[in-house]
Amino acid sequence: MTCLTIFQAKAQKCNLVLSGVVMDASNNAPLEKAVVEIKELGLKFITDIEGHYHFYNLCKGSYTIVVNHMSCDSIKYKLTVQQNVIQNFKLPHAINELENVIVNAKRDLNVNTIKEVLSSKVVDATRGQSLGEVLSRANGVTVLQTGSTIFKPVIHGLHSQRVLLINNGVRLESQQWGSDHAPEIDPFIAEKFTIIKGAGALRYGNDAIAGAVLIEPKALPKQAQTNAEFNTGYFSNNRQYVISGMLESSPIKYPELSYRIQATYKKGGNARTPNYWLYNTGLQEINYSASAGLRKEKYNTEIFVSSFNTDLGIFIGSHVGNLSDLQNAIQLSKPLQNIDAFSYTIGRPKQNVQHYTVKSKSQIYLPNNSKLNLLVTYQKNLRKEYDRALLSNRPELDLDISTTSADINYESGSNKKITSNIGTVIMLQENIWAGSRFFIPNFRTQNVALYSIHNYNVNNWMFDAGARFDYRHLTTYRNKSDSVSAADRTFGNMSGTLGATYKITPHFKWLINGAYAWRAPQVNELYVNGLHHGTASFEIGDPKLKSEKAINLSTQLKYQTDSSWQFDLGFYNNIITDFINLTPSVPATLTLRGAYPTFRFVQSNAVLRGIDFSVHKTLNRSWMAGAKTALLWAKNRDTKEWIIQMPSNRIEGDITYSFANKLLPGAAIELRYMHIMQQTRIPASIADYIPPPNAYSLLNLDFSSEVAVGKKQISVGLTVVNLLNQTYRDYMNRFRYFNDEPGRSINLRIKLKL
Amino acid sequence: MKQLKVGIIYAVFMMLMVGCSKDVSKPNDENEHEAINKIELVFAETSGATTSFVIEDPDGDGGNPPSRIDTIKLNSNKQYNLTVKVYNIASGVIKEVSSTILAQATSHEFYFIPSGVSVTVQKTDKDKSGYPIGFLSSWQTAGAGTGSILFKLMHKTALKGPNDGPNVGHSDIQLNLPIIIK
Repeated sequence: MTCLTIFQAKAQKCNLVLSGVVMDASNNAPLEKAVVEIKELGLKFITDIEGHYHFYNLCKGSYTIVVNHMSCDSIKYKLTVQQNVIQNFKLPHAINELENVIVNAKRDLNVNTIKEVLSSKVVDATRGQSLGEVLSRANGVTVLQTGSTIFKPVIHGLHSQRVLLINNGVRLESQQWGSDHAPEIDPFIAEKFTIIKGAGALRYGNDAIAGAVLIEPKALPKQAQTNAEFNTGYFSNNRQYVISGMLESSPIKYPELSYRIQATYKKGGNARTPNYWLYNTGLQEINYSASAGLRKEKYNTEIFVSSFNTDLGIFIGSHVGNLSDLQNAIQLSKPLQNIDAFSYTIGRPKQNVQHYTVKSKSQIYLPNNSKLNLLVTYQKNLRKEYDRALLSNRPELDLDISTTSADINYESGSNKKITSNIGTVIMLQENIWAGSRFFIPNFRTQNVALYSIHNYNVNNWMFDAGARFDYRHLTTYRNKSDSVSAADRTFGNMSGTLGATYKITPHFKWLINGAYAWRAPQVNELYVNGLHHGTASFEIGDPKLKSEKAINLSTQLKYQTDSSWQFDLGFYNNIITDFINLTPSVPATLTLRGAYPTFRFVQSNAVLRGIDFSVHKTLNRSWMAGAKTALLWAKNRDTKEWIIQMPSNRIEGDITYSFANKLLPGAAIELRYMHIMQQTRIPASIADYIPPPNAYSLLNLDFSSEVAVGKKQISVGLTVVNLLNQTYRDYMNRFRYFNDEPGRSINLRIKLKL
Repeated sequence: MKQLKVGIIYAVFMMLMVGCSKDVSKPNDENEHEAINKIELVFAETSGATTSFVIEDPDGDGGNPPSRIDTIKLNSNKQYNLTVKVYNIASGVIKEVSSTILAQATSHEFYFIPSGVSVTVQKTDKDKSGYPIGFLSSWQTAGAGTGSILFKLMHKTALKGPNDGPNVGHSDIQLNLPIIIK
């Protein structure tokens, strides 16, 4: 029947569009993840974060539309389509009792910030890759790499402590002291990745100068459901395989209870450039998590525990003892220190990192739809870096950081024009070092924060305003020749946001946002004194550093089609005062191992401005094409020079063909072209060892499909990365001095839902 | 029920906290490096007479630069047997660690590269694979002169070969030692 309709449709030249927004009837807030279905055609669309849905290429006729959402009653609607139709739906809430049993859809606290949610297609296509690689699919997000195993997300040119990572509601607190410290998060844990660009994430911290990333698992199952999902993948380049499994259930006997267990195992060997293997670039990961929830009429509560364990090999040819070793290594087109062979073995230099999270979250329902949220978390991060083994097998760097935090938050009722979110966060953190080499001192930090965020909806306008106060007390303990001394520093400041969105039409919105954020200098910036693992550089902190302050202004025009067009245009201007940056300094540090270039943390005033633009056009039922670009200008306002180590401009284009046939339902093939320009915006006064690498272009191919095996659906995907086996180096990879990037990789992935 | 749950969570938290408790206010000594921070070069003449030259950096990498770098003084047209001794200084205790490095001989090699002076160096010891190490070497001086010796200990796990140049591996020691041949 469906097939017949399609054929008729083609014959009739059907080109009508049905689109609109699904809203909550009580407050007109957009409803995400509502399912809009055209019964007659069997077509379904899941609304995006703005509640938007659309169907293209419809024929004239009468249709039955059914709209479902987990927090609301479903509605059925008869609709006659004679021309392009914009139809908005307002869903009534289910009766109160039921609503309270169901975990309420999370209210969006960052309404008026520029954000990007990775589509489920992208999430599926990047399964098995690291978090940094997954996030780099968002426009304006790049990665800072250390070889082929360590990826750090960069938003609008900034990274590390300036990008908050919120994993299942818990702010990741780990060892983020350098570009070679990757986030300790298993992407398999999550279903949804939201990238907040700009300093709008007040709820999670004062220090999100670049932005924040929300990594969210799906909600625990409800109403006596049991689901299992099994994912596996193989990556040909480094012969990496990944297995991930998940089981979740809400027992029939106790429907108010639910639980989920999840585990991932990943093992990869040496990566291969088009011309040679990179020795000691294997990796291994074992991650697991468990969560359990209880839903009652008056409250719900959830416990979550997770463990992330990784061993990462670091390319043997990147490991240099001193400045002259580094210069010897750089002068070569092919690495001198290498064994051109495949192996899964991970030897020194390597990293071993473990991260544990325990979380308890409770929500108490108060009168008038308001809620009290209680969140208590504990995180422990153990980082061991094995450099050269000389006099013992101990790790050179051995850091143990633990963080306890409590967050109490009040959310006012959702059925008013003004909604408020008021809360406090208390955090205690301790770090202890034990390696054979000093890098950062032991420290204890105590943080207290108060925040208040308000949203106001009127007609086509949405406004928000928020303020936050943070106080941080830092005590460091140092031992120089058996004499222990403690030093205290305190930091306190206000941060705030102000934003507005105007809906020009239900599909066309204009957003403007201003934020003031600040970040206390981190322990490494203040007190680091030592060699950075394998980088042949000596880093020296400055105990007198002040807090870094940012005024971030951004605006966005987002058009989500009444026809088949989508575009998203964003501008940002981030003015940073007392920007802390690692800067080369003279003289070199002299040791028995030779001379090392010295880097010091210094403050300057900076401005980072840029444009993110993306456009998509659905040409017809089969073809879709898109393009995007991210441009960045980063300047030191004092010296008027460009800032070093910033991502270069890039453009991307993609074209997708969807096979609309019965044999391969939902099958699509996508060809993606990326062009990364050479970074020419580099400071003239700071000498780099070699100039930034040349521009390069890559082609990636992705095929995905659903295959029915009996009653089960299996999703399969085949991705070819670097299709043309291009030899290239990237400016944002610190190992650009030593080796080429990996060559072609054919990646296969299978997802089975039970 | 709820109190019980909260109680359990709290207990788990406390166990985690206490179970891993190390004292943040009792840090390790920053100067305690597991590194070579003293080197002694012992030159023995064929007559048996020995002369020692010392290089020292007691606070390890960073901090103060090396506190002592002796000038090597040798006589012209003589043969010497050099023995290299390496030490670790930690908390004021000096410990010879030559045997630790010797135990990893298959991944280490010393280099002595003269410039400005006329001296021929021949490594005389060999590792398990029959490749040179350099803890022992024979030095033949020619005419008088002043110059330097680039003294290196290269670390080359999995990379060591029979005739490696001085840039294979990464440097565990690299020093430009002044030398005077009288």
